Order: sequence, then structure tokens, then C-alpha cells
Amino acid sequence: MDVAVIKKNKKKSVAYGRDSALKALTTAAMVLPGMISSAHAADSEVTIQYGHYEEAKRDIYAPSANEVSAPGVFGLEYETGKVPNNFHPITVDSIHIQAKTSFFDRLKFTGNYTEDTWSGATPVATAPAGFGGNTPITTDGVVTGASPYLSSLDDPGVFFDSNLNPVIMKKSVLDISAFPPEEIKEFEAGSQLVHTMAMASPETRKQGDFNLSYEWDIYAVDIGGGISIENDYESRFVNWGGRLDLNNKLTSLNFSQSYTNSTTSALLDHDALPYLATVGYSDKIKNRDSKVNDLAESTLVGEREDWATSLSITQVLNKSALLEAGVGYTHSSGFMENPYKAVYVFFEDPDQPSGLTNGTAAYRTVAYIEERPDIREQWNFKLRYIQHISPLDAALNVKYNFFHDDWGINAHTFEGNWVQPLGRGWSVTPTIRYYSQNKADFYTPYLVSKNKAVVSDKDNLENYNNIPQENFSSDHRLSGYGALSGGVVISKQFAKGLSLEFGFEYYTHEGALKLGGDGEGGYADFSSYSVNGALKVDIGSVGRSIAYSEHAGHNMHHGTPAPAGVMSAHMLDTAGDWMIGYRYMYGRQAGDMLQGNNKINDGAIQASDSNCGGSHCYVAPDEMTMHMHMFNIMYAPTDWLNLMLMPTFIDMSMGMRSLAGEPELGIRDPDYPEVSHAGHEHMTGGLGDTNISALFKLYADQEHHLHLGIGVSAPTGDVDIELRDTHGVELGLIHYGMQLGSGTWDFTPNITYTGNSDKWSWGAQLSGIVRLESQNESGYRLGDKFQSTAWGSYNLLNWLSMSVRGVYTSQGALHGEYNDIHSPIGPMDSPESYGGEYYDLGFGVNAMVPTGDLAGNSLSVEWIQPMEDDVNGFQLEREGTLSVNWGYAF
Amino acid sequence: MPTSFYQQIFLIILASLLLGGCSVAPWERGNLAKPQMELDPHPTQTLFRGHAYGSREAATGSSVGAGGGCGCY
Repeated sequence: MDVAVIKKNKKKSVAYGRDSALKALTTAAMVLPGMISSAHAADSEVTIQYGHYEEAKRDIYAPSANEVSAPGVFGLEYETGKVPNNFHPITVDSIHIQAKTSFFDRLKFTGNYTEDTWSGATPVATAPAGFGGNTPITTDGVVTGASPYLSSLDDPGVFFDSNLNPVIMKKSVLDISAFPPEEIKEFEAGSQLVHTMAMASPETRKQGDFNLSYEWDIYAVDIGGGISIENDYESRFVNWGGRLDLNNKLTSLNFSQSYTNSTTSALLDHDALPYLATVGYSDKIKNRDSKVNDLAESTLVGEREDWATSLSITQVLNKSALLEAGVGYTHSSGFMENPYKAVYVFFEDPDQPSGLTNGTAAYRTVAYIEERPDIREQWNFKLRYIQHISPLDAALNVKYNFFHDDWGINAHTFEGNWVQPLGRGWSVTPTIRYYSQNKADFYTPYLVSKNKAVVSDKDNLENYNNIPQENFSSDHRLSGYGALSGGVVISKQFAKGLSLEFGFEYYTHEGALKLGGDGEGGYADFSSYSVNGALKVDIGSVGRSIAYSEHAGHNMHHGTPAPAGVMSAHMLDTAGDWMIGYRYMYGRQAGDMLQGNNKINDGAIQASDSNCGGSHCYVAPDEMTMHMHMFNIMYAPTDWLNLMLMPTFIDMSMGMRSLAGEPELGIRDPDYPEVSHAGHEHMTGGLGDTNISALFKLYADQEHHLHLGIGVSAPTGDVDIELRDTHGVELGLIHYGMQLGSGTWDFTPNITYTGNSDKWSWGAQLSGIVRLESQNESGYRLGDKFQSTAWGSYNLLNWLSMSVRGVYTSQGALHGEYNDIHSPIGPMDSPESYGGEYYDLGFGVNAMVPTGDLAGNSLSVEWIQPMEDDVNGFQLEREGTLSVNWGYAF
Repeated sequence: MPTSFYQQIFLIILASLLLGGCSVAPWERGNLAKPQMELDPHPTQTLFRGHAYGSREAATGSSVGAGGGCGCY
């Protein structure tokens, strides 16, 4: 729960500012457990965090067959072994932006925005390795990888002994040296299990939430809420709570409660659908219209509700220790399945092959979407102890949590942190964590039924009724395992309320780490690491005074911010000044397809295969959206030089439509696998390129200012993002325009002039991007870019202005082409269909806070309306770009 | 009246906490006021790591205020 700084505390600190001992004492006197977490947080603070999570590749096993080489014997010998895993592991890139501010001292507001994009291969089901859940892919006789295999009821081929333990075929031969010829089938125990892995194309989740709290002297209340949106899952939540301080503020009671309502609408993998039994969800599967075309898609729809309540007590034990104890209860109901997980059920083959002995029998397979109970009651008990270690001025923070639910899971979590301040604003915190859970009652890697398979369609009701248990899931999250992780957090507090924090953690999940043993087998083990960096700026106290005394007057020509879409338009001209900024850009393309500056019909695109990257033209984009988040840190070592670092975070999505007369999208058509896939919206997201630049002041007086920017763009954005394989076809690299960076080191010069007189101000800028390499790692480079712009603005009020701007942009086509597998399907896959000449008009509003609590902040918004496009090749018309730019100088 | 062993233990702990805590005077709380002594010294890290744990482990914790998405991978 967020609680706030004690207002009185602050005022007293100021009043007795010269007497540091008294100040410390005052601070100490005001501290109480419930407020400790906020006693050091700033009143108004902005946090920007970027994080990356990546798992290691998982081990997969598969049988391979070899011809038997013995005289008079014909047949195959099988060997099960580890096969190369060519799946990209799960990776998640995320950004988190948090803004905190206070009103009337007692009312605090916190807003959060989080965005994460994930991609990679994930387990969908588990089977004995003999089943071959990952079919080996062989290139020139060498196993180079594996592709997922879910099976159909028509294929026998997995064997169990009379005790239903899996056995694996070792040999299947015909010995013609004997008379009559003898059929020999040999088996051995085959307990090795393996996940069937499946790739997912990138997907993005966005979450916004807020919290509002109000403080009185010994109690506080808060309320919050938010929404999390991803393509297949939407969640809305509200929460409220309160705090009461007792016992001379040595004891603090916290209460909080939340309600969450979530909807799953999982688009079932059309690649797996023909093999995946959905009979258990006949009432939940809906055929609805696709978002991106008019065709039906199978969607599994479910609703879920969660009510959570927690109570905790924080108690000061003595002058250097405190304790927190808490209990939480969560009641969840509704659809709690992971709609992308299946369980293989093996039914005895009614038609046993000959040559089986010793009770060994062949089984047939159906993969059912997992089924979990509809109710889950969960309890949490936590205990935390914090001890100050005086000789080192460090803090030891240990926590234990016990979890119990009615699914049969008990889990223990032990955490330990050692927070060690090192002086000069540095602090290092090593962290260690151990987690262990036993399996859910209904967890099972796979199921075997002694009932004979009804060889019919996969959704046959008799087979479904013969599944040995009512609920079943092979999700490794519900298995028995332990996880050990260790990491470090390093933070540095700079002057002027700026601080940086860096975190790293390595995590290993192993069946063998489970408390008391008896965990899941080693096939399910995985490890991962995460790194993140956060920048925090206190935009309250320090910035205000500086903004007052130094910025005002000195920076008169900064009176009007430049339009939001203009980059590098301002310099800081006081040595030692800092500025941080956040720029959001939204761009959308939709409407007509253009050739040059003319609207064209589908026939013109279809006229030549070369219009679509040399492949037949099946589709055209009908909508493309980009969201870009740019973070800007600027520092002025002298009054004529500014250094600037600008990392970016991007996500994009593209919808497609069939060109006239071409096969329909979203329908599984083995003749056009790459096009079947185009029924989905394609998405990418993650870290983009990072710009590092220097601005040099060339001329400045009260009215005119001229500066030169020299920069490079480092290729930190990916250019090798792939689409997942579809229908056994490797689609390879995604459309050029959806890669996240240029992939090359780029030179980014610019020159900017700004001027002002009375209520008017104006400016002009020339800027360019020159690629410094002939191609990136994927074999191409983006075209060079040139832009010129000029604007004028008028101050309506001393803090508010409006601007009008003209922009001309010219960008070359893409050079080279993909050097790896790529399946062109439309004009966006043609290197010639990139770049062009563009004319735009921008309309902006700029606000700047000159004095008061939020002095030093500026906010600009600009809409850029395309006036004319003259595109290279064939491209979708632009609808416009929105830029929002926030800056804070201090 | 508490009957179970655990309830008795809980009450004993609670009582000793409340009594034990009374001895710290406001001017003796200097160490407690230090940033390293916060209940959660690195909330930004807790949130980031918690999201990864939450999508990988069954015991999601009784974190009130939810969100966090499906984690369906």
C-alpha cells in the first residue's frame, strides 16, 4: 500500500535545517512503521524503468530411427536422445513509467504505465519421449531441430507396459533368416518425458493503473484501480485500503482489498486446432469475426473474478528491529485455465499391432485443452523481520511466506536481502530467494486410459468421458518443484534528486530443488535471468528552487518550448544543468494503398510478383500502428555543450487484408500456409535504437539561438524478429518495417535555429540520418533520411502557446534484402516499398510551468497531419502522428 | 477461547510484539528511520521481479491490486 511522506516532518526539517542533529531527531521521531516505506520517497517523483527477462533454451528429446544393418534382418532401430532445440527461448522486454505527485500535501497520486512484449517457445503439452512430441527436422541427414507435433487419433505409436509405464520401441524388424520369417519388436523402459514446444510470435501487453491516498495524523485511506490489456486477455481491477497507527506509532495496521475481473479470449492456434480436442469447451468456444478481416476464428472465451483481502501488522520491536506479519485470502472463480496448454490422453489402441509381448500395448493419442477447477481458495501468511546491523550501518531484511490453496498446493518462499549503503549515495543489495511448491492435485504430465480408443474424430464424446480424471493440467507452474534465485541491486543517488538503480537476477527452476524431494523430472527444468535499469527523478523540492533562481530570466529564449515532434530543439545553457524528458509518439497508417502519390487498386499491386518481394502478391496491409517511447537524459557540462542519451522502446502492430481474388486469410489452407498466418495481427515490440549525441551552441543572444547536433544511433533494436512457424512451414523473418531498429550504426546530424520576440517565437531545423554500414546483420539497410521543418508559435498566456509547423521528409528505399528465411506475402515485404517523400503540417499546444511547485516541467502535444505522400513502391497511406513531449529541467 | 495450538502461538507472539514495542521512545528511532530499514527498500525491483515470479509460480501471493496480465506462456 502506498502511504505518503509526513508533511510535518518536512516542514520541521526545513525550519531546523541548520541543526542537523535536531533534524535527524525530528525525522526519527516522526517515523512509524507504516510510514517507513514512504518516509524517504519524494513527494513528486518520476521513475522510468526498462527490463529484460530471458530464459535459457530447454532440453528436448526425440527418438530417431536407423536402418538395422544385419544380414537377413530388415527394419529399424530407435534411439532416444537430446535433439537440437532451434526454438528461441522466452524473452520479455518491459518498460515501466511511474509518476507520483501530491496535492494539498495530504492527497497523494501515483500513476503507473507498464508495457511488455514477449515472444519465444513455450511448452504446450508433455509426453513420453517415445511419442515424439517434437518431430526431428532433418537437413541433409543431420538432425537440425524439432517441430511441434500434437498427433491425431489416427496415429498409433506410443506404448505402455501392463503397469501403464511408458516403454519405448527399441527395435522393429523382420528376420527373414528364420523360417517362417519372424517379426521382432523390442521395447525398453522409456520414462524420459519431454515437452512439446511451440513458438509464439511476439505479443504486447499494456497496463495502466493509479492509486490515490489521503493522510490524517494516525490513519490513511487509499483507493486505486487499473486495466491490463493484451490481445487475448483483459483484466480490470479496483482496490482500496487503509492504515491505522496505534501504540504511540510503534504499531501500524494495514488493510487492503481488491476485486479483479478478467476476460480470456484466446484465439486458438489454427495450426494446432485440427489436432486439439476442444470438446470440453463446446460452450466456451465462439466463432467470431476476426479483428483484422471478416472471417470467423475459433476463440475460447472465459470470465474470471478474483477477490483478495489482506491484513498486516507492522511492529517496532526495538530501536533497531521491526517485524511485519500478515495474512491474505484470495477467492478466485471462473476460467483459470491457460488456454494454450493441453494434456495428452493415451487410449488403448483397439487395433493392436502384431509382435507385442509381455503386456505391452499400443496407445492412441488425443490432446485435450487443460481443465482446472472453477473455484480456487488461496491463503497467504507472511512474516518479515528487519534488523539494523550497526557496525556496518546495513539492514538485513528476511521474509518467509507460506501459501496454501484448495488445489492441493502448499508453497514456501524464503527471501533475504542485505541492504548495504556504501557512502556517496551508493548502495548495494545482494538478494537471495528460495521457493518450493508441491504439485496441484490434478497436475499430470499426461494421462493413460485403459479404455479402448474410439477411433473417430478428436472430439468424440466417449473418449472424452473416459479421461481418467475430471481436472487435468500439464502446466509446469502446477508441478512440484523448487526455484533458487540470487541477484543484486545497485543504486546510486546523484545530486539534484536524480538516482539510478540497476538490478540483476539469475533464477533456476528444478524439480530436484523441491523441499522434501519428489519433484517433477529434469525435463521440465529451466533457468532464466533478468536485468533492469531504473532512473528516478525527484521533481519536487530541488528542481523548484533551481528553476526559480537560475532558469527564470536566464533562459528567456526557452520561454516557449518547440513543437512536440521536433527533436534536439533545445539546449541547456547553464553548466551543470540536467534535463530529463519523455517523448511518446503514436503513428498510424490506414486507408488506401498508394503508388507514388496516387491511390491504386489491388490489380496494380498484383501486376508483378516483384511488387511483393518476388513472391506472389496475396495480401496488403490495411492498418499499421506504432507506439514509441523515447527517454531523454541531457546534461550540460559547459554552457556551450550538451550531451544527450536517448534510449527508445517501440511496439508495432499490423493488420492485413486479402488482395482481390486471393485466398481468404485466417482459414487454414495447406496450399498457402504463409497466407493463412496473415489472418492474425502481426505484432513486435521491445527496445529500439539508442541515440547518443552532442549539441554545440554556435550563436546565442536574447532573440536568436543557433546550435549544431552531432549524434550516432546505436543499433540496440532487434532486426531479426521472426514469425512463428505455421503448418510446418518456417515463415522466418517478419516484415522489414516491423523490425525494431535499423540494425546499423547511423550518423544523425542536425542544425536548429530558434528565435523569439515578445509573444512570438519561431524556429527551423534541418536533420538527417546517414547509415554508416552497408548492411545490418539481417542483410539489408534502411534508406538515408533527410528532414527540414519550420515553425511559428504564439504565447496565448505566459505558460501556454500554440504552434503551427511545416515538415518535409525524404527517405530512400531499403537497400539489400533479408539474408535468412523470409516468406514475402505482400508489398510490405518488398525492399523497394519503403521510403518516399512526405509533406506534413503540424498543430501543437505547449505548456510550461514557470514558477510554483511544478516549475521546470514542460508538456507539449502536437498532431502531425499528412498533406501529401509520394511513396516508393506500394505503401499504405499515413493517417497521422501524435507526439507528446514532457521535459523537466533541473 | 483459542483452542488450537497455532492460535495460542499467534496470540503469544502478538502480545509480546505489542508489549515489546512499547520501549522505543521517539528519539530512539534514528536507525529505524534510515532508508535501508524500509519494509521494501527497492519497490521498483520488487514489482519487476514479482511480475516474473507471478507468471512462473503457482503461489501468486496475496498481492492486492492485481493486474499483471494472463502470463499465458
